[in-house]
Amino acid sequence: MAKAPKLNDRPHVVTANHLSTGDVVYLTAQNEWSRAIADAVIAPNAEAAAAYLAEAEEQARRNIVVAPYLIPVDTQVSPPNPIQFRERIRAFGPTTEAA
Amino acid sequence: MYKYDQLDQTIVEERVAQFRDQVARRIAGELSEDEFKPLRLQNGLYLQLHAYMLRVAIPYGVLSSRQLRQLAHIACRYDRGWGHFTTRQNIQFNWIKLEEAPDALADLAKVQMHAIQTSGNCIRNTTTDQFAGAAADEIEDPRVWCEIIRQWSTFHPEFSFLPRKFKIAVTGSPNDRAAVRVHDIGLRMHKNARGEVGFEVIVGGGLGRTPFIGKTIRDFLPKQHLLSYLEAILRVYNQFGRRDNMYKARIKVLVHEIGIEAMREKVEAEWQAIKDGALQLPQDLVDQIAAHFAPPPFETLPAGIAPEYAQAFRTDFEFGLWARRNTAKHKQPGYAIVTISLKKEGEAPGDASAEQMQAVADIADRYSFGEIRVTHEQNLVLPHVKQADLPAVWRALKAYDLATPNVGLASDIIACPGLDYCALANARSIPVAQQIALRFKNWERAHDIGELKIKISGCINACGHHHVGHIGILGVDKAGEEYYQVTLGGSADQNASLGDLIGPGLDARQVVDAIDAIVETYLRIRQKDEIFLDTYRRVGLKPFKEAVYAAA
Amino acid sequence: MPLLKAGQIVDDPWIRVAEDAALPDDQPVLITHARWEAEKEALSQRNAPLGIILPNSLDVLGFGAEAGRFSVIVLSFPKFSDGRAYSQARLLRERFGYIGELRASGDVLRDQLLHMHRCGFDAFEIARADAAEIFAKALAAYSAYYQPTGSSPQTVWAQRLRQRQEAAQ
Repeated sequence: MAKAPKLNDRPHVVTANHLSTGDVVYLTAQNEWSRAIADAVIAPNAEAAAAYLAEAEEQARRNIVVAPYLIPVDTQVSPPNPIQFRERIRAFGPTTEAA
Repeated sequence: MYKYDQLDQTIVEERVAQFRDQVARRIAGELSEDEFKPLRLQNGLYLQLHAYMLRVAIPYGVLSSRQLRQLAHIACRYDRGWGHFTTRQNIQFNWIKLEEAPDALADLAKVQMHAIQTSGNCIRNTTTDQFAGAAADEIEDPRVWCEIIRQWSTFHPEFSFLPRKFKIAVTGSPNDRAAVRVHDIGLRMHKNARGEVGFEVIVGGGLGRTPFIGKTIRDFLPKQHLLSYLEAILRVYNQFGRRDNMYKARIKVLVHEIGIEAMREKVEAEWQAIKDGALQLPQDLVDQIAAHFAPPPFETLPAGIAPEYAQAFRTDFEFGLWARRNTAKHKQPGYAIVTISLKKEGEAPGDASAEQMQAVADIADRYSFGEIRVTHEQNLVLPHVKQADLPAVWRALKAYDLATPNVGLASDIIACPGLDYCALANARSIPVAQQIALRFKNWERAHDIGELKIKISGCINACGHHHVGHIGILGVDKAGEEYYQVTLGGSADQNASLGDLIGPGLDARQVVDAIDAIVETYLRIRQKDEIFLDTYRRVGLKPFKEAVYAAA
Repeated sequence: MPLLKAGQIVDDPWIRVAEDAALPDDQPVLITHARWEAEKEALSQRNAPLGIILPNSLDVLGFGAEAGRFSVIVLSFPKFSDGRAYSQARLLRERFGYIGELRASGDVLRDQLLHMHRCGFDAFEIARADAAEIFAKALAAYSAYYQPTGSSPQTVWAQRLRQRQEAAQ
């Protein structure tokens, strides 16, 4: 079995919570925030990821969002799918619909 | 129940104004997130996985129908139409906007409710027996003392930045339904040799990462000294509790490290210095608060089973099933206590829709003097129902999916919100609870199994009380996958015990099968009248462990 | 560091002296508790007023009897969330009857001023130009309290008792 790529080698997107609403949001290519991960700007490498995160942190200082951070995503699918389980729940909502 | 006077009301309204100002300062950028976070937490506002979550206090689990209707209003106006009743007699709303939180709090203040100290390193909502004032086995109504503690602890200036959070529980009955042995302070009312009622004071219990059963620091505390004694314990804890490591900061670790004797020595010395001071409660004030908890105007009814009830019990099988599980003995002849299950199989434990809350409020007005209770097991209670009304109450509840006959059974599961909502969680809880409940949906089997308390936490913080579940389930993260550890033999009642770990963790599918295997083993080896916990205490881990891992 | 005292921004005449530095003569100084313990006798001979800085890990039950020898006692909040000094303050005021200046030092933030005031602090090291204004606002946030602490003895409970007595008359 081929080894899965390390988390850090994967593409990333920037996520945060919107300050005044609390909504889960993703940084877009226009440096705006969208509630849909489909709108997220993809950072293909560490350099781009750092630049996007810096922009997001600046927006956190300007009190638009809270606590931005990078998450690795799988870009083979659409919309991009977060690798981490927790982030999939953040992106797509609770899994608790009655069986 | 307790009604605010003008002073109580003013304080709660001033809190809303203060928080409105803090939120405005945050949104305007005058407060950073680091500065704002402790302020919003002290008002029960968390930033969770998906949104802000507002935790509203239901002091000692007592609600009026008017308050419950207002909670339904909050659910509709500020949330997505649902509320989640927690394991600490609070309610949480999962989809709150920061900018609207002050308005939600203002609406709560209109019905004498608030979110004060529902988080933060301060004294939290005091919890008690959900049957208080109604239970047949009660020595004295603990709500009087819970309200006194509520007032004393509200904005206590000395104890707002404790080493860690602090939880107090009170029981007025020898059958402990408030889990007092697993709280920072547990208070058990009992009579001394002279027939006076006072408190056994238990300190240093708790769940979380390092669970402990609390130890008795004082066998008998006269009631008028309650507040000075609590203040003495808190003062010792505030000064000497550990602050170097948040995982060792609860009072249980202090008690464990210095020992109960040293703790007692410090507390008693401090208490001697303050016991006759301003915190000694004048009887006049105690009486004034106690008057709020006077019994409702019960009808004088004959003792024994009401004929309407007996008739329905005989003729309607489904009703009989429900009445057997979901009613309890009332101290007043002709009355019963009804537990409303919020555990319909396949639903999220403790969740209620706005429509259900409205319905319960209406039913309470008609049949239970407008009073409702919230249980730490995430159900609701109608405390004062005439036995003759039970069939009508059952039908009314059934129309809203609120008559699941499973109180105390395998599907009456405690579960924290878990990774579906909570920012701290490592694994999901609710879907596991849903799957287990569906597995035990068959009423015949469930009633045959009998009392079985399954409790699920999605992380080590143990909001789902897994340590004290007859079967406890703890979700952990193992290299990015959800795993579940199973413990057996825990209990939160007067014979409290902590569960024993059965073996290696299981994945979400295996854990449901494992619970099934454990229950089947119990059914096979139980002796006459034994509930699961009795059997476990008799035989220990071995047969259950074998059953779980045999298949794996 | 500006000082907020009795609701006003004032100059701080007190000089903080490091553990091993020489004490200036005839000037009010703030010394550490360790120094006091080590040089108690010599320090007692000084004519100039003496203030002391207590670590928040100190059990003030062992110190309280000496509290009256100081004109200023400085209590420490290394982080605003470390609340040990609240208990120290109440003990010094209420148990040992200390009436000198009780000063909050360290992470002293607007939203904790009221708690500090109610526990007996009357001076605050707070670096804000609007300190007097926010202090006044903080004190005005609540019109009643439940707890009988040093600076808020007029509790809700006391008011209720009075109301009842008046109603009975």
